[in-house]
Amino acid sequence: MTVNLEDLAKDLKNIVGEEHAFSNLVERTTYAEAIMPFDVEEADLPDIVVHPANTQEISKVLQYANKHEIPVTIFGSGTSNMLGSKPKHRGITLSTERLNFIQIDEDSQWFECGVGAKTGDVIRELGKLGYFLPIQTQIGSSIGGAVSINTTGHLTDNIFGRPVNNVLGLEIVLPTGEIIQTGSKSLRRAVGWDLTRIFVGAEGVLGVITKVRMVLRPMPEIVDVVGFFKTAEQIGHAMALMYKKKVPLPLDGEFTAEKGCEWGFKKYGVDAPKGAAMFIARCMGRTAEEASKNARELVELLTSAGAIESYVLDDNEIREKLWAVREKGISRGRDLGLSGFVPIEVNPPLPRLSEAMTELKHISEGRKDLIGETESFLYGHVGADSLHCVFWWPHDWSNEKAKQLVMELWDLENKLQLKYEGVAGDWGQIPYRLPFYRERYGETSYEIIKKMKQLFDPNNILNRGNVEGEI
Amino acid sequence: MEEENENKSIEKYLNEALFDCVKCHRCNLVCPIADHRVSQSAFGLNRAMYYSLKSNVFNEDLRNSIYSCTTCGKCEDVCKLVAAALPLREIFEKAREFLLVDKMVGPMPEQVTVLKNMHVRGNPWGNPPHERTKWAEGLGIPLASKDNHVDVLYFVGCASSYDAQGQKIAKNLSKILKKAGVKFGILENEVCSGHEAKRMGETGLFAYLSEANVEMFKNAEIQHIVTGDPHSFYSFTHEYPEQENGLKVQHYSQFLNELIDKGKLKLSKRVNKKVTYHDPCYLGRHSEIFEDPRNLIQKVPGVTLVEMENARADSDCCGMGGGRMWMEPPQGLLSSQAIAERRVHQALATGAEVLLTACPFCNITLNDAVKSLEKEDSMKVMDITEILAVALG
Repeated sequence: MTVNLEDLAKDLKNIVGEEHAFSNLVERTTYAEAIMPFDVEEADLPDIVVHPANTQEISKVLQYANKHEIPVTIFGSGTSNMLGSKPKHRGITLSTERLNFIQIDEDSQWFECGVGAKTGDVIRELGKLGYFLPIQTQIGSSIGGAVSINTTGHLTDNIFGRPVNNVLGLEIVLPTGEIIQTGSKSLRRAVGWDLTRIFVGAEGVLGVITKVRMVLRPMPEIVDVVGFFKTAEQIGHAMALMYKKKVPLPLDGEFTAEKGCEWGFKKYGVDAPKGAAMFIARCMGRTAEEASKNARELVELLTSAGAIESYVLDDNEIREKLWAVREKGISRGRDLGLSGFVPIEVNPPLPRLSEAMTELKHISEGRKDLIGETESFLYGHVGADSLHCVFWWPHDWSNEKAKQLVMELWDLENKLQLKYEGVAGDWGQIPYRLPFYRERYGETSYEIIKKMKQLFDPNNILNRGNVEGEI
Repeated sequence: MEEENENKSIEKYLNEALFDCVKCHRCNLVCPIADHRVSQSAFGLNRAMYYSLKSNVFNEDLRNSIYSCTTCGKCEDVCKLVAAALPLREIFEKAREFLLVDKMVGPMPEQVTVLKNMHVRGNPWGNPPHERTKWAEGLGIPLASKDNHVDVLYFVGCASSYDAQGQKIAKNLSKILKKAGVKFGILENEVCSGHEAKRMGETGLFAYLSEANVEMFKNAEIQHIVTGDPHSFYSFTHEYPEQENGLKVQHYSQFLNELIDKGKLKLSKRVNKKVTYHDPCYLGRHSEIFEDPRNLIQKVPGVTLVEMENARADSDCCGMGGGRMWMEPPQGLLSSQAIAERRVHQALATGAEVLLTACPFCNITLNDAVKSLEKEDSMKVMDITEILAVALG
C-alpha cells in the first residue's frame, strides 16, 4: 500500500461521496464480521468501507486500489460460510449493497439485477409475476455471492442447474478497473468461449461482478411429502433408489436424523413414530395435479424403501411443524443450554450416503479433542447428496477455544470429504477449504488457479489471501 | 450499589443474548431502517452493541446506531423463523438503557430535552400542563374524578392532546363516544404514559410517569380505559404495574366495535371511498390487534377496504416509533420520512384514496410523507375516527 490512511479516506470519498465511505470502528467491525462462532479481531478490520453506487464507481475504486496496490475485499451480504468476505490484509472493503436494482423483462424471459440484490428480495419480485429463482441460499444472502460461489443449495441444481446454467450474462469490473460484458441478451447462450463461465464460481478473486442476467423460470406448483424411517441410513438408501427408479425429483429432499427428530417432534408437538428419522421434500410440477402425482409417486417410493409411514402433507399445520423440525434444528442446542455452533458439510456419493450417515451420527463420541466435548446432530439435503453435521458447545468457551474447535472441525471435514470422495458442494472451495482442494485435486490444479489469479489481478488486490488459503 | 448490579446484569444479559445471533442476516430484509448498509439494520445494530461490549468502547457512532431502531419488532418475527428467536426489540431497548444509565452516551442529543419535558411538564414537547385539555374546551367533556365518576376514561395521550392533527382524533373520538351515549371523561392532570421514555432507555422516568398515571386512575376509581394511542395502550396492557389489578384497557377500535355490535352506535351515512389500512406496530404486531380496526372500517357503509402488500403482522413501520419522533438521524442513517414514504408507496399501489391508521404518530408521519411525495391530490391520510365521524352523519 503506497498511500497513507488519511489520503486513502480522502481519495475514496472523492470517488464514492463523503456519505458512502466509513472508517469508524462500528462500520469497520460490522463489515469484518463473518458467519463464524468467534469474534472479529483488530487484525481483521478493513481500513475503510466504501459503498460505490454503480459499476463506474467500482471501476474507479479498483483503478485507484490497483495503482496503490491496496487490498480490496468484496462484501455482498457477509453471509459467506467460507470467510470469503473477511478482510485478511486490511485495506478497502468494497460493499456491493447499493447495486440492488431488480428488473424483470418478461418479453425477453430474463431478469437483470445488481449483485447487491438480496435473494429474498429477488424471490419476492419474481414471485409477483409467477417466476421462481433457482437459487436456494439463505434469503439474506446476495445474488452476487451466490453467483460468485455458483451455489444453489438443496436439490435445485439437479433440476434447474447451478447458477452457471441459469446466468445468461454478466457485467464485471476487472481488478485493474476495466469493465467487461459477457454472455447474451437472448436465451441462446454462447457456446465455446464464454467468460461468464470463468467468473461464475470464481469466488470473487478474478473480478467484481456488478450485474447479473438470469433466465426466468416459471414458479412450479408444490406439494410436500414426509417419510418417517427407523434409521437415517434407510433414508440414504431411499435416495439412491429415488434416482434409480427415475422418480421425478423434488425441489429439495431434506432430512433430520433420529436425535434431531426426537427433540423436534417433542418441541413442535408432532405426532410421529417414536425414535424415527424424517425425510421431507417439496415435490414440484407444472400444475397442481402434476405436483400431486409426483408427490404420490415419491410416497410410494419411500414406502417401498422401508418408511414406517409416509404421506402427502395436506394439512398446513402439520406441514409447518414438520418443516420446523428440520429447519429450526439449531434450536436444539440452545434448548440444551449450548450457544456456540458450527456446521460442517460432507457430500458422499449416493452408494455411500448411509455409511457416511452412520459415521456422522456418532462423530463426536469417544474423541479426545475438542470435538469430543461438543454435542452434535446430523441433518441435511440428503436428496442432493449433501449431509451436514452441526456441533454445539457452551457459551462460556473462550474465543480461542471456539477458534481451535473450528480448526479441528474443518480438518475433520476435509478428511471426511477425501474419504468419501465428495466435493465441497454448498459453500465454496476457498479460503478455508484450500487444504482439501490441494489434496483432492493436486498441486497442478492449484497452480492453475494461482496463474489465473495472476493473469486477471497482477497486483493481487482483490480478496487478497483467499486463493492463498488465509483465514 | 443496587443500580450498579442492575446495570451489570443488563450487560450480562446483552452479552449472552447477542452471542446467540446466528448471523443469517434475515432480519435485514425486513428492517425499516435498512437502506443498503448491513451496518444500518437490525443485524448491524446487534453487532455494533456486541462488539462495543467486547471492546468496552461506547461512543456516538454506537449511540446513533442503537437509537436508530424504530422498535417495530419485525426483525423478531423473522428471527423466530430461523431458530435463534432473539428478542431483538428487548435487546435494543436494554442496550439503550445501558447506554443512557450506565455509560451516559444516550439518548440522542435532541431527545435529552424531550425526556426532561416529560419529567417536568408531563409531555415530550414541553407544552404547559394546563393546556393539555385545551382541545376539549367547549365540548362538554367531563373531567374524571372520585366525585365525578365515569364509566370509561378516555386516555388521550400526548400527541392527541397537543398536536393539531392528533387533536382531530381526540375530538372525533369524543364525538363518537358522546353519540353512543358512553359516560366517559378525561383526566385533568393526565401525564405522558411514559411509553416513549422507556423506548429511549429512560426506564426510571417511565416508572415515575406510570406511577403518576396509576395514582390518578386509582384516585378517580377508574375501571375501564379507552385510548386512541397504541403506544399508551401497549404500555398499559404490557408494561404498567397495575395490569394484574383488573383494570380494563381497550384501544378505541375494540371498544367502538363492541358499541356498534350492541347497537349503541349507528353508522348511517355512506362514505363511498376505497381505503387501505396501515397497522400501527404497537397495536398490530406488538398487541396482536389486527382485526378490530379492519372490522370497524368495514362497518362504515360504502367503504371498500383493500390491503397493502405488507399488512397485519407483516406490516411495515411508519418510522416514528422507538423515540424517532424526536431525533434527526445523523448522516448516513435513513430518515423517518424516507421510511414513511416507502409505506405510502405501498398504500398508493393499492389504488386507495384514503390511507387509514389508528395511531397519532403514524398519522403525523404518513401525512408528512404524502405531502413530501406530492401525492395529496391522490391520497388522504386519516385516523379511523375521522371516517367514523363522517359516517355518523
